[in-house]
Amino acid sequence: MSVIDLPALWRPENHQALFRLILDATARPGQGADLSPHLGGAHAALGALATFCDNTQTLADLTGTLTDADWRFLDVARAPADQAAFILAQGSDAPTFQPRLGTLDAPEGGATLIVKVASLTEGQPLILTGPGIKTTTSLHVTGLAPDWLTARARWCADFPMGCDMVLADDTSVAILPRTTKITEG
Amino acid sequence: MFPTDTMAQGHEGAEYGFAFLDEDAKRELRRSIFKAVCIPGHQVPYASREMPIARGFGTGGMQVTLALLGPRDCVKVIDQGADDSVNAANIRAFFSLTCPGVSGTTLTEAASVIQTRHRIPELPLRNDQILVFQVPYPDPLVLVEPNAATRRRMHGRADYARLWVKLYEDMVAFDEITISHRYPTRINGHYIIDPSPIPRYDVPKLHQADCLYLFGAGREKRIYAVPPHTDAIPITFADVPFTVEEFIDRKTGKRHCCRRCGATDSFLDEFPDEDGNRVFQCSDAAYCDSRLMQQEAAE
Repeated sequence: MSVIDLPALWRPENHQALFRLILDATARPGQGADLSPHLGGAHAALGALATFCDNTQTLADLTGTLTDADWRFLDVARAPADQAAFILAQGSDAPTFQPRLGTLDAPEGGATLIVKVASLTEGQPLILTGPGIKTTTSLHVTGLAPDWLTARARWCADFPMGCDMVLADDTSVAILPRTTKITEG
Repeated sequence: MFPTDTMAQGHEGAEYGFAFLDEDAKRELRRSIFKAVCIPGHQVPYASREMPIARGFGTGGMQVTLALLGPRDCVKVIDQGADDSVNAANIRAFFSLTCPGVSGTTLTEAASVIQTRHRIPELPLRNDQILVFQVPYPDPLVLVEPNAATRRRMHGRADYARLWVKLYEDMVAFDEITISHRYPTRINGHYIIDPSPIPRYDVPKLHQADCLYLFGAGREKRIYAVPPHTDAIPITFADVPFTVEEFIDRKTGKRHCCRRCGATDSFLDEFPDEDGNRVFQCSDAAYCDSRLMQQEAAE
């Protein structure tokens, strides 16, 4: 059997490790997960995409930061933001798109937004409540335009429809499932 | 004559990737698990793969576990609380065969991933543990609505009136709700799930737990989840409280205890012994064993 020396981010064992960290962060919204041991130097947002994307999925890159090599490794189809299953966006830019929210019968069709932010350890805290959070928890974010929170509140207003957000700084992610309620601290 | 290690038969030369499933299959499972956790209680469809055991023998739970496992995991598999029954023993052997590096255990506290059929362990699970259920029938509405598309619509709109009518009919006919296992449970105030055939005794453990619960139905091709610290309320009426098995001895009025370890705080199996007497024993074998070991150490 031949073994190809792939970059760390594209090896299956790292996808498994990334998934477990992301799953843990999804089950406990606001709790950051340090992905850096499994990224091989790549951005955490790319780590999240590598975990979930393949040739059955669609991706809209609104940041323009994905290289040709990234696209080839992801093997994911390009789609406009209003149709894509995954959307990679820049947190400093206010959202100007309408993501897929799923339907009442199939809410899992709601998009997964992967939003690049400057930091997940500094900045004004957001107060989070909802499933996965015992009482309340706080999430510190910088580099997320305030419009994101109003847009997200609008998208997630009609549970079970909505979209799920993965906030990513250089090395870590924090996840806001559609059930998480946010108030600014 | 059978070889001593039947699991090793024909393994030589079989080059499966880690965790048996191919990477695309695992990625699809992971996407479905992710959405299931994001939408607590919603049954997310997925492409249930062919497994080397028949559908209905725990393939859903197996696929979820295989999508989770990494070389540093420690896995425990139980069937009705026991580690050594046929279903659990063979699934554990399959994991050890196809997931090099993964260790197996019977200790609840040592496992990072626990796959289970029909029980939740007695020992409360921690926030670094995941419990994976093998689910035969994922949809509680199947009792009252035969059409799958209609059931999906009812779930989306949280239209569960007919389930309550079913409970009411039980009250009229029997003066109590007669559901002994697979008790319909409402997750986070919206979806009602079938929590797999766990006894009523285990249903309250779903509510505001520390660990993550994942449910995999292989034959019905559905994955759903109850995240930690999430409301899981068994549905009932305001004047009919939800009750769990009490194991009260009608003669003495006291609770039966386990005949091995003497526990009075565990779910008990009832069966006849060699002389035809009714006896009771812990259903959770690991819990019973650890109590016995503690008692021996104390003597």
